[in-house]
Amino acid sequence: MSTAQLDRPVPPVAKPSGGVLHRVSRLRQTSPGRLQLILAGLVALGLLTGLVAGLTTASAGAGTADLGNRAQPLLVEAETIYSALADADTTAAQAFLAGGLEPTELTRRYEDDLDRASTALTSAARRTPETGRSADAIRQLSADVSRYAALVASARANNRQGLPVGAAYLSSASTLSRESLQPQAQVLFQAAQDEVDDGYRAARSSWWTALLVLLLLALLAALVLAQRHLSRSTRRTFNVPLVVATAVTLVLALGAGGVLISQRAHLTEADTEGSWPVALLAETRIAALRERGDEALTLAARSGESALEADFDETTGRLDELLADAAEIMPDGTAAGDSVRSATQGHRNYVSAHDAVRKLDNGGDYDGAVALAIGSRTSKTFTGVTDDIGRALQNRKDVFSDEIGAAGRGLGPLTVLGPLLALLVCGLAVAGIRARLEEYR
Amino acid sequence: MRARVALAAVAALTVLAAAGCSGDSSPLPGRPSESAAPAPTNPAAPVDTSCNPRASLKPAGALPAPGRMPADSYMAVIQKRGRLVLGTSQDTLLFSSRNPFSGKVEGFDVDMGRQIAAAIFGDPDKIQIKVIAYDKRVSSAVDGSVDLVADTMTANCARWKDVNFSSIYYEAGQKVLVSSASAAKSIDDLGGKKVCAAKGSTSFDNIGKVAAKPIPVARAGFGDCLVAFQQNEVDAISTDDTILIGLAAQDPYAKVVGPRYTEEPYGMAMSNAHPEFTRFVNAVLAKNRANGTWKSTYERWLGDFGAAPQPPVAQYRD
Repeated sequence: MSTAQLDRPVPPVAKPSGGVLHRVSRLRQTSPGRLQLILAGLVALGLLTGLVAGLTTASAGAGTADLGNRAQPLLVEAETIYSALADADTTAAQAFLAGGLEPTELTRRYEDDLDRASTALTSAARRTPETGRSADAIRQLSADVSRYAALVASARANNRQGLPVGAAYLSSASTLSRESLQPQAQVLFQAAQDEVDDGYRAARSSWWTALLVLLLLALLAALVLAQRHLSRSTRRTFNVPLVVATAVTLVLALGAGGVLISQRAHLTEADTEGSWPVALLAETRIAALRERGDEALTLAARSGESALEADFDETTGRLDELLADAAEIMPDGTAAGDSVRSATQGHRNYVSAHDAVRKLDNGGDYDGAVALAIGSRTSKTFTGVTDDIGRALQNRKDVFSDEIGAAGRGLGPLTVLGPLLALLVCGLAVAGIRARLEEYR
Repeated sequence: MRARVALAAVAALTVLAAAGCSGDSSPLPGRPSESAAPAPTNPAAPVDTSCNPRASLKPAGALPAPGRMPADSYMAVIQKRGRLVLGTSQDTLLFSSRNPFSGKVEGFDVDMGRQIAAAIFGDPDKIQIKVIAYDKRVSSAVDGSVDLVADTMTANCARWKDVNFSSIYYEAGQKVLVSSASAAKSIDDLGGKKVCAAKGSTSFDNIGKVAAKPIPVARAGFGDCLVAFQQNEVDAISTDDTILIGLAAQDPYAKVVGPRYTEEPYGMAMSNAHPEFTRFVNAVLAKNRANGTWKSTYERWLGDFGAAPQPPVAQYRD
């Protein structure tokens, strides 16, 4: 429609023989020709600006939505998978340590863990493209989770019949969990973290935004120059349609600028107050569960301090750093900050309980060590730590959702309004200049 | 299990030599040159016949009273510590396995250790069970992380180079466990089939020496072999008949077949830095053979498989 408007004044002048450059240079020599060129330039710039405004807001909107609906939830699910599997492994080992028929609450906890892992796996699969690192990890995880569940089921069936081979089944399951399931979950977690980073890049759509800013400036400049030319070459000081077009362009620039600036501010908030603490806390919870698993498996292996205890010490060091980092970015007085501080204190208590466990075991009191490790006091201390981390995590997840929701606000309307306003500018430019052109007829 | 006459010892030695001796594959402290040597699991490795693996150190006189170990002896060190550290496994049913009901590790091997603890302390409960991997049995005794290893461990010449063995407390021999539907009658019918044994055990090495060429598969322990067998990852398990009986008891679809194709005399291993401890352990074993304790221990754990045989006759090298 707009190209038709553009073309209509041209055909009487056009000659099939001449080249484009030749025709343009001929147009420049006459006053109506110059007006036609100005009109063509304004319309072209206007259309381009409308197109880019639409694309920029569409890209920023899609990026923001993808971040909020896919990448970040994928990260959260990857953490759920990892921590559920780690907790299942620990719980199974603790149930084994308890001796006799496994305690009901541990069985229930193990089943909950597996349920959580399977549910998270299903929805993570939905959020992942068919090929790539995450998809491979999810496929491997799905296959191994059912193998894992089968091994633990065999262990329990044998244990119920009093057959010691149950212990061997459990250790096969644990090996599968530690050597395949948890590493794959970690791969998924890292892939999800990369996707979140990519998601922020896509949501910011920096190249499109820069292009839009340039085009808006160029369109404004072109409108101002065209009006100066008209006021010099005619006796009229103001060309009303072009003045209105300039105003509309300014409105478009201010509107787009406002929405995009606010989107970026909320994205930054979502990143620093949401995604980053969520990733940090997720890693913290994983490290805490790893400690507990090391402790239970060391006791189950009954061979004194081994590589697992060395892993415990290493994990404790890392966990302390993670908690310190978390305390730094989540200040005192905030809900998340308080949870982190409480987790830090709880973790200190847990590590001293663990040291007591090791001391008992190393001193030959295996039964005492087991009783202390899986006893209600130590369990409560440890659960307190993971619950605190979980609370802080939930708090930061909420912050992320709020910020990402705010970031997406206004992008949808702008995707429609931007191109419409640009078309309006084109129409006004045509109206304004055609009136002058008709004076030459 | 078998009454042994002096003449038979020579024959037994030859069988054992044919079966071959091999130390554990774990690296030993202070012997770096050993680890650079070719893998001991190589079936072509020269057979070590340099000793009589059944002959241990002779007990020195009467046993000291419990709780009154001679000063400067290793028994006094153990007494001062307040517990004997026994290295064993927790998945060898009947010999040393974890009772799933009580969580305690128990069996024939564990009772052997408890009898030593009783001789030192007058209390068989003053014992700490430390579970060690099969391929760590020699190194754990050498580095002193356990006082005594009682873990269905075959006394052989290669191991004698690193540790002292007690006199023989049990005579076993290698057989094979197959699916109850299998037509195999012995290990010779399992050419090209996967046969599992614990990593670092003599059983594993022996599978590689069978002429029919079964494929040896290593797992961390025999319980893990049973898992592999039940998951159809291996076709058979081959190790000492005693261990196989314990495995077959846990799986009604498994049976133990064939004649013993090796001889596996079990001894308790300990560091050779304290010969007085070996002599002490041998004195306890000699006493328990004589007073019927050995027989009642056998009946307690292995009585379901027939009456107790005569205990193995102790042989000494000095």
